[in-house]
Amino acid sequence: MRSANAETTAAVKKDLRIRPVSFGKRLWMQRQLMLMSVPMLLYIFLFNYFPLWGWITAFMNYNPAKPLFENEWVGMKNFVWLFSKPEFIGAIRNTFAMAAINLVFGFVFPILMALFLNEIRTMHFKRTVQTITYLPHFLSWVIVVGIAQTIFSSDGAVNKLLLSLGLVKAPVFFLGEGKYFWWLVGVINLWKECGWNTIIYLASMSAIDPALYEAADMDGAGRFKKMLHITLPGIKSTFLVLLVMNIGYLMEAGFEIQYLMGQNVVMDWSQTIDIFALKYGITKGQYSRAIAAGIFKSVVSIVLMLSANFTAKRLGEDTLL
Amino acid sequence: MRKLVSLFMALVMLATVIAIPAMADSAQDPITVSVFIGDPRDQPASDNKIFKKIEEEFGLKFEFEFLAGDLDETLGVKIAGQDYADLMDGGNSAEKLISAGALIDLMPYISEEKTPNIYNYIQPYLKRLLNDKGQLFIIPNYGRYYNTEEYGMNYVNGPAFFLQKKVLAWAGYPVIKTMDEYFDIIEKYVAANPTNDKGQANEGFAILCDSWRAFCLFNPVQHLMGRPNDGDVIVDIDNNYKTEAYVIQDYAKPYYKKLNELYHKGLISQDTFVMNYDQYIAKLSSGTVVGMFDQTWDFQTATDALTAAEMFDSTYQGLPIVYTEAEAGKPITEHYLNGTVINVNRGFGISVNCQYPERLVQFMEKMLSDDWQKIVWWGIEGEDYSVENGRMVRTYDQIQDAANAVWKNANSAYVLTNSMPKKQGKMDDGNSWDPAVQPENYYLQMNDYDKDFLAHYNMKRPLDFFNKPITLAPYGEAWQIDVTVDQAANDAKAAFQDTERKMLPQVIMCDASEFDATWQKFVDSVNAIPISDFVDFMQQQILDLVAKNS
Repeated sequence: MRSANAETTAAVKKDLRIRPVSFGKRLWMQRQLMLMSVPMLLYIFLFNYFPLWGWITAFMNYNPAKPLFENEWVGMKNFVWLFSKPEFIGAIRNTFAMAAINLVFGFVFPILMALFLNEIRTMHFKRTVQTITYLPHFLSWVIVVGIAQTIFSSDGAVNKLLLSLGLVKAPVFFLGEGKYFWWLVGVINLWKECGWNTIIYLASMSAIDPALYEAADMDGAGRFKKMLHITLPGIKSTFLVLLVMNIGYLMEAGFEIQYLMGQNVVMDWSQTIDIFALKYGITKGQYSRAIAAGIFKSVVSIVLMLSANFTAKRLGEDTLL
Repeated sequence: MRKLVSLFMALVMLATVIAIPAMADSAQDPITVSVFIGDPRDQPASDNKIFKKIEEEFGLKFEFEFLAGDLDETLGVKIAGQDYADLMDGGNSAEKLISAGALIDLMPYISEEKTPNIYNYIQPYLKRLLNDKGQLFIIPNYGRYYNTEEYGMNYVNGPAFFLQKKVLAWAGYPVIKTMDEYFDIIEKYVAANPTNDKGQANEGFAILCDSWRAFCLFNPVQHLMGRPNDGDVIVDIDNNYKTEAYVIQDYAKPYYKKLNELYHKGLISQDTFVMNYDQYIAKLSSGTVVGMFDQTWDFQTATDALTAAEMFDSTYQGLPIVYTEAEAGKPITEHYLNGTVINVNRGFGISVNCQYPERLVQFMEKMLSDDWQKIVWWGIEGEDYSVENGRMVRTYDQIQDAANAVWKNANSAYVLTNSMPKKQGKMDDGNSWDPAVQPENYYLQMNDYDKDFLAHYNMKRPLDFFNKPITLAPYGEAWQIDVTVDQAANDAKAAFQDTERKMLPQVIMCDASEFDATWQKFVDSVNAIPISDFVDFMQQQILDLVAKNS
């Protein structure tokens, strides 16, 4: 009886085992799905991979007026120039510093806010707060920077407040002193995006099984214990996926805000790699050098993304790749 | 019957097909010309009377693209994409278009027989205009004076230290000559009048530091030293044209030291170093800025706004301020004004994408005829001006119209002709080409406040505040020299201007006790570029030009 049973199980297993199928056959079996993905693949190839062919101009002394291959090949000269230029090293530093500030602010505050909002029981109030805080997300950067420039100018609201509280003797030159710039970018980014970023955490919080909270109640856990032991672990996987994605974007410290707010006086602190590339490529017409800067940025981004993904895998979470 | 009709139709169509290539040769075939203007302006009205006339006579329609945003960026994008309009006015960065190969050489289309007007226009300046290969890419839009040796303006269109007229009136119409006098009157005025009559706070001295317009920050020293505008360098014409970057010299220090003092007295606002051009114009238009260094054309919109708001006393008078002997190390005579300068490399070039360069050159040729020039400058006789005893005159209303942006949109082709070659100076019959220079018009167009203001100084024109222009040096004006041809010099110039924009504000804002150290740091940074790459290049070019032109 036992052996018969074992035999049946084995037979069933044998039948259920997926037979190795040739790649071509599998492709044919999934033809409808494949067909559906063709436009996307074409799109990615045409717009994301095909333009990369222009990267070869980074190894040339490129002048758009000449046909491509009549330009002089210069090897790695443009890269050597980049890394011998303190301005570029400064741009790398600024990019990382502002991106790091954005990353930390962009996680800590939205999660805190989501936690608080999650605890609010009056739906009406919760909704109102949520709406008010995410509205700035829809403003264009030009407007946001305009508002910020007014608020932080020498006779703006912030300086008036500081002066009237007696915290400073003369107005602080927020917009014109380099040391404030990174933090200003962080704060403005936070104001604009914090509310919007809470949405995803609130969504993942609402997916937590209410039974867990009930069980915790039975065990005598208070509000803070519940937050700590149920809510936070509940959003851990969302958090990690977002972290991996955001680390991939670490080189994207933003462009508009530095472009609009980075006056010459604070250039040493405001210039990111993107702005460096724009300045040399488009404004000064040194296309090859700008493309070299762009390549550097892409390579670093890929490395960052892969290492973040690897770390997340080791932490035993779902990963993107 | 039907067959006949269709046969006839087929023949007609065939004829049309054959006729098209034949007609394309005709100079009257209507075409639309695309135009890029490197300046923000308004689209002309669709029923503009001058454009209508041009279309009737030449069969040309124009499609304008005006600058929106930063000029260098816009041109950079166009160059990267080889996306050029037929006619390109690259404004202050036209050299970029030339070095990127965006424009065609115009000399093959210009000759004494084919284009007598243009030939006559450029002929006296050929040496200055043609490059080493004998090519000409841009026909200058301004600076060719006919039949006159006089300075062709009643006011100073160029650089000066400006002061609100009400400040001079408040002080009893004094004559202000030196830097100390100038800043002294500003200080006293602001102390006595902390706000304007609307209660807004007065600002002593504004400095525009936005992109290329930051010349307001760099340029004053050369003028304080008694030279006209040579851009980033000063040229000693008495000492074998010795060229140097003046901002880092010892004689630049008193000026920035003075600004440092002013800053700590609260007469210069922090915000001046971070404001953009629009904010600057808005500030000037509000009438709260007492003084600034600038060039008249650069804040023309603010002047227009003040005039339109009838705040005549808040408009500006340019003053030729110079150093004292102690500050400069030698006695200084004021020379803000130069002799007439041909506007090298400013105006229209024809792009490599243009299908009909010959026709456009011929268009400019015809537009340079006396009849068309009268229309360009004065308008239509009987509508925009009249002739009395051989003198061309405008009524007060006609003058007001001509200065009105909305009227101009419908009744003048200014947006196009501003970039085209134009005659200046006097017509053969003695009238001025430029209506604003015609003496009887100039006095008539002035408002009563200005007349009264000038009367206190016993003057007729704002220009009378300045010394007579000096003879133009044989090298022209050094800012016209194209630096883009030399990579090292170009890099050094760009780094130089970046350093100035970044560090001069620090020099002005630093603690008075740290001024010397900050100044030295600035000078060292500029020398470390090395700035000699740029200055040596300029020196060589200037000596070459002198050798070529004298």
